[in-house]
Amino acid sequence: MVAVYRHDVHKARMRGHEHAEETFRGVRVNESVPFGADRDAALLSRPRGEPEQTVDAHESWFRVSLLTGQVASSVEPVSDIGGSLFKVVRIKDPAALHAAWLHATVPSLFSESPYYPYTSLKYHTLLVAALLDNYRAGVSFDELFLAVTPSDGDPAVVPHRTVVSTSGFALHVTSEPGDRPAARLGSGPARLFADVWARLPEVPFDVDGERRWRVLDAQLRRVRSWSVALQFIEEYSAALAPSPLDGAGPGGDGV
Amino acid sequence: MTRIQQVLFEFDGQYLGHPYFVTGNALFNAVARRVDAETRRSLRVSHGVFVPGEYGEYPAGASQDGYAGKLGQSLPDVEVYEDLFVFRDAAQRWLLDSRPRDAHNVHDLQLHGGRVAFDDTCWFGRPAGQRNRRRSVSWYLHCYLHSRQGDGSVVPVDEDVLDGLQVGGARNYGFGEVSVVDTQIVDLDALDFSRLKAAQASGESCRIELVSPFVLESEHPSGDAQDVPWWWRVDTDELSPVSQGGLRRRATRLVDGDETYAVTTVDHGQVVQYAGDEPVETARNGVLRVGTHSRFGFGEFCVRPASEDRVSERRAAGAGGEV
Repeated sequence: MVAVYRHDVHKARMRGHEHAEETFRGVRVNESVPFGADRDAALLSRPRGEPEQTVDAHESWFRVSLLTGQVASSVEPVSDIGGSLFKVVRIKDPAALHAAWLHATVPSLFSESPYYPYTSLKYHTLLVAALLDNYRAGVSFDELFLAVTPSDGDPAVVPHRTVVSTSGFALHVTSEPGDRPAARLGSGPARLFADVWARLPEVPFDVDGERRWRVLDAQLRRVRSWSVALQFIEEYSAALAPSPLDGAGPGGDGV
Repeated sequence: MTRIQQVLFEFDGQYLGHPYFVTGNALFNAVARRVDAETRRSLRVSHGVFVPGEYGEYPAGASQDGYAGKLGQSLPDVEVYEDLFVFRDAAQRWLLDSRPRDAHNVHDLQLHGGRVAFDDTCWFGRPAGQRNRRRSVSWYLHCYLHSRQGDGSVVPVDEDVLDGLQVGGARNYGFGEVSVVDTQIVDLDALDFSRLKAAQASGESCRIELVSPFVLESEHPSGDAQDVPWWWRVDTDELSPVSQGGLRRRATRLVDGDETYAVTTVDHGQVVQYAGDEPVETARNGVLRVGTHSRFGFGEFCVRPASEDRVSERRAAGAGGEV
């Protein structure tokens, strides 16, 4: 499971797979991921087939924010990208490595591909890890769920299966949702985040009480690419988590 | 003859209202003050769904095929039942892959006094300073009107009546103004339901997708408590449940003049199994909506054969996509 968090480090170093180096500061990177987990995770966030440039005049590995429209490099520079990257690559314990990625900033500066600049390297990697861990347990894609830890629950992190963790809630891709509300991913990998999200029996934040959470919920019903959506959850929660100013009471839209 | 009038509005300003859709209640109240009492009694308005005006191609199941130019800026022809729902799905499946479809389909957010508003236009262009490379995507609003009986007595409502409506909050400050860009009459009885008829003939199961919330309980005088309809089966099949944990319920409010009424709903966007045996008739009813608050836009749904995957990519097996 260690290799899965290192397989796409070349993207954060702004190189395609074919020009990637085999090591990064002495750590083995760029190893292939078994069970087709990398390909399946890519299909969750990008279209099939030959990639084509989707944003004019943006041919860069730096991610464009869906929330602000800004290019990551210009809004949240990490002073030492190489050093920060090394910190989330060198860890040897798989569970610790997963935890480090869940809260890392540096991989979220980059997209999965310069052709799809709204996608996120960070969440692509976490999705690959979740798929691989499930596949290794003998589970096929059509048995997977998106499960939520509700806002009043304990947002426990499950190694390799938790794909988003904020201070208030967590989302997991797992075949064992247990008692948690969960929705099936479907028969095969595709950009279907909005479909899965809309079917969840419960959303993990208080949409009835806070208009800002309703706005996030409404936006998530529109986003189809998984890594774009998960990154959006992170950014939105950090920037616009509900404040008392916004509290218009239950159902405060006044329809 | 059951006629509905589809209306496409363009947003002329920012919007600060219900973030999922503009409710039929909001649209109804905006229209009601401009029409006579008889029309007001009979008029029924659907929820207004947000649509980006962007390049697209017709989705699978639509009567027309292939590239459609800028699809969100006009009303596509409606010949088959599936055409009714081209724009009525938040994920807007018709957007092109060759463009940043998620960025086109997500509202640009603006903060006003701590409240999050939707911008009426989003701007694209890298680098930001290069004016010539910038382009914009405008937001549209899709809804439809009909009369209580579904006959033609009220529609078409004149475009002059609909033009310049205001919906949502902060209307005194110019928010939520919309203008009519396109309107067309659809005869429900003349639509082609062949895919559902085929499913019915072969005994194939169907699914119901909730386009707008279904009201379970309401304080509003016109609403009694209702159960989840018997012909919805929340899937408990261990082998292929769509979700686990039951139906998602939501609390909302209905504003009527100075009064506000608490409403409990089954939230939109969810999928249940269809347990009835008249899918075509059910589908027709779903367009005109079911339940006690159908006149305010609640209770709209779409019926699909269960084998039909609306995410067409998922069916396309094979390799590719690896980078």
